Parts: sequence; C-alpha cells; structure tokens
Amino acid sequence: MRNEWLRSDRLPHIYCAGCGNGTIMNCVLEAITQTGWDRTRTVFLSGIGCSSRAPGYIMTDSLHTTHGRAIAFATGVKMADPSLHVVVFTGDGDLAAIGGNHFIHGCRRNIDITVVCMNNHIYGMTGGQGSPTTPLGKTSTTTPYGAEEAPFDLVELAIAAGANYVARWTSYHVKQLTDAVYDGLLTPGFSLIEVRCQCPTSYGRRNKYREPTDYMTYLKTNAILKRKWEEMERSGENISPDSFPVGEFVRRSRPVMGVPDEA
Amino acid sequence: MKLEIDESRCKGCNLCTLVCPYKIYRPGSRPNRKGIYVPEMDRPERCPNCRLQELYGRRLCGMCALICPDQAIKWVPEKPYEPMKVVIEY
Ligand SMILES: Cc1ncc(C[n+]2csc(CCOP(=O)(O)OP(=O)(O)O)c2C)c(N)n1
Ligand code: SF4
Repeated sequence: MRNEWLRSDRLPHIYCAGCGNGTIMNCVLEAITQTGWDRTRTVFLSGIGCSSRAPGYIMTDSLHTTHGRAIAFATGVKMADPSLHVVVFTGDGDLAAIGGNHFIHGCRRNIDITVVCMNNHIYGMTGGQGSPTTPLGKTSTTTPYGAEEAPFDLVELAIAAGANYVARWTSYHVKQLTDAVYDGLLTPGFSLIEVRCQCPTSYGRRNKYREPTDYMTYLKTNAILKRKWEEMERSGENISPDSFPVGEFVRRSRPVMGVPDEA
Repeated sequence: MKLEIDESRCKGCNLCTLVCPYKIYRPGSRPNRKGIYVPEMDRPERCPNCRLQELYGRRLCGMCALICPDQAIKWVPEKPYEPMKVVIEY
C-alpha cells in the first residue's frame, strides 16, 4: 500500500489546493509499491522548487539538493552503490533551465535512474516566472505580454540525448502515468517521465485556468495519444497549437551505466 | 469497505468530482471548521471498490484516491460487514 511510503505526520503537504504535484506523488508511489522494492534500498532525490518538496513526504532516504543539481547527485548515489534504486523528482525549471546540462549528460551517460519531471510550465515556488517550457503566448510574471520564446520539448530533448525510456503523460491520466512510471523504474538506464500538471496558483490564475478543474479539462481535451497524433500529422489534419502528444516515446537498450553487475 | 474523505487533509480542489465514473462526489456547499468546502458524497456505497474489493481481493478503480493531490480519500474497513442492496442506474 502506498500509504506506508508516506510520512503521514508531515501531511497535509505545503502544495496549494489542487496542485498536480500531489497527484504525481501518488502515482509514483503506487508504481513503486507495484515493483515491490525495499524501502531501505530506495532513494529519492530532488532539486529546488515546489515539485522538489515531494521526497520530504516519503518515508525513505532522500536528498533535497541544490537547484538543478538533483541528477548530478543522483549520478553520485548510483555510482557509489549501484544496487540502490534511485528516483528523482524535479520541476521544469529545475530540469530544463538551471539543470539543463546535467539533464542531457545524464541521458548521454544513460545512468540507471528514473526522473519524474512535474512540468507546470513556470517557476511555481518563486511566484510564476516564465521557464524554458512556457508555451508560446502564455502569460507569466516575466512574460506579461505572452511568451515569445519557443519552449523546450523535454521528450525530444531526452530522446536526442540518448535516454533509454521516455514517456509523457499528464496529471489527469493517473492510470497511464502509473504504468509509465512502473515501466520507467524497471527499464535499465535513464528514464524520463514528463508529466504536464496544473499549477492553479501561478500559471492557471494568469492563463484563464483559475480552478484546478479547468486545467484538468484542458489536459483531458488536448492530450492526444502518440499514435493518433502521428496519424493526424500524416493525413495533414490541422492540430490545435494547444495540443500535445502523450504516450511512450522511446524504449530501447543503449549501453547503460550504474546497473549492478549480477543483473 | 467505506469511502472516507479525511477533512484534515482535504483542501477542497474538487478534482475527485471530475474523475469518479459514478459521480459520487459533488462540490461541497458548506465550509468546514477550516473554511474548506469539502466535497459531499452522493450514495458512496455505489463505489465498486466498497462493494467488490473483498470479493476480488484487489483494489478496483481507485481513480479518486489516485488523483487526490492531498491523499485525503481512503477506504476504511467496516465492521461488522453488512451486505446491502445497491441500485445502480446506467
Ligand atoms: C541556484 C539557485 N537559483 C535560484 C533559486 C531560486 N529558485 C527557487 S525555486 C525556483 C524555481 C523552481 O521552479 P521549477 O523547477 O519549475 O519547480 P516548480 O516550483 O514549478 O515545481 C527558483 C528559480 C535557487 N533556490 N537556487
Ligand atoms: S505554486 Fe504552483 S506548483 Fe507550487 S504548490 Fe502552488 S500550485 Fe503547486
């Protein structure tokens, strides 16, 4: 049961009402209970941000590291003891902005860790500044007239850099997300699961998704399964600029690092 | 099994009202002691997990508990267990 993995004495957590981070935490814990891993052999790491508070609510060893450096610390933990299971929680700013280089080199080395990126499109904790994943035209505190820079596609980035397992889901697709995290945990090598989620306080409020349920409805209608997306592209159907593909993008076996020998 | 919302954890985001296939949750109408509108439950005994979990020996559905960002929804065992008649409209 995933309740055994929670530090119940620290709940309720600091997340705002309706924040997607809590949902993602549930799904990751559910997937981990399915693997049957030992709590004393599992380590959670995170950088800085709202999303990075998650390991603090989980009853295992954890490292709350400096901003953007979670993957660097995770590489250290995994190389020191490859038999440990290492999971990283990170935000979009944490992973793609300040930690961008650690991220691509983590993928290149294909170190055996699982990274769950809670992508809420902004810097939530510091008050909603634009991040490298803010979609074109969306408002944030640093893009009051709408973002003009094209955002990063984290999935494409991870694939190009060489990760072994890459998937994208949203905080609405809880069952699929749980399955994807489960697959990511069991795939040797670097696994990235990007999760688009709502931040009603800093992103929703400025972008006409005031209630958490509004953004959920957006996710539900605009997340298109990868197969359908490819079909639509092939047939030249016009795809709304708000839509994005979800699903499993890559599962392969490039040479890996940090996998225990006897495996 | 009985569905329960932990009022000390719920922050009133209403995400559960969106996902339950039986529409068991409804947005709350009265604030609690902390000023939070905790969702109300409409005939929670219709939940398949309440009725059939013992029979199947595993968790069924469970969407609301999985999506609840505040880990506030849970099933508590009922004792003594009383079978009851449930009418389900389609
Ligand atoms: C080296 C350093 N630079 C900047 C900050 C300030 N800071 C704290 S949280 C944060 C943003 C985190 O955003 P993100 O990773 O997107 O997570 P979210 O809060 O959105 O979940 C920043 C810039 C910091 N703590 N350390
Ligand atoms: S500021 Fe945004 S990301 Fe941070 S806890 Fe609130 S809703 Fe979640």
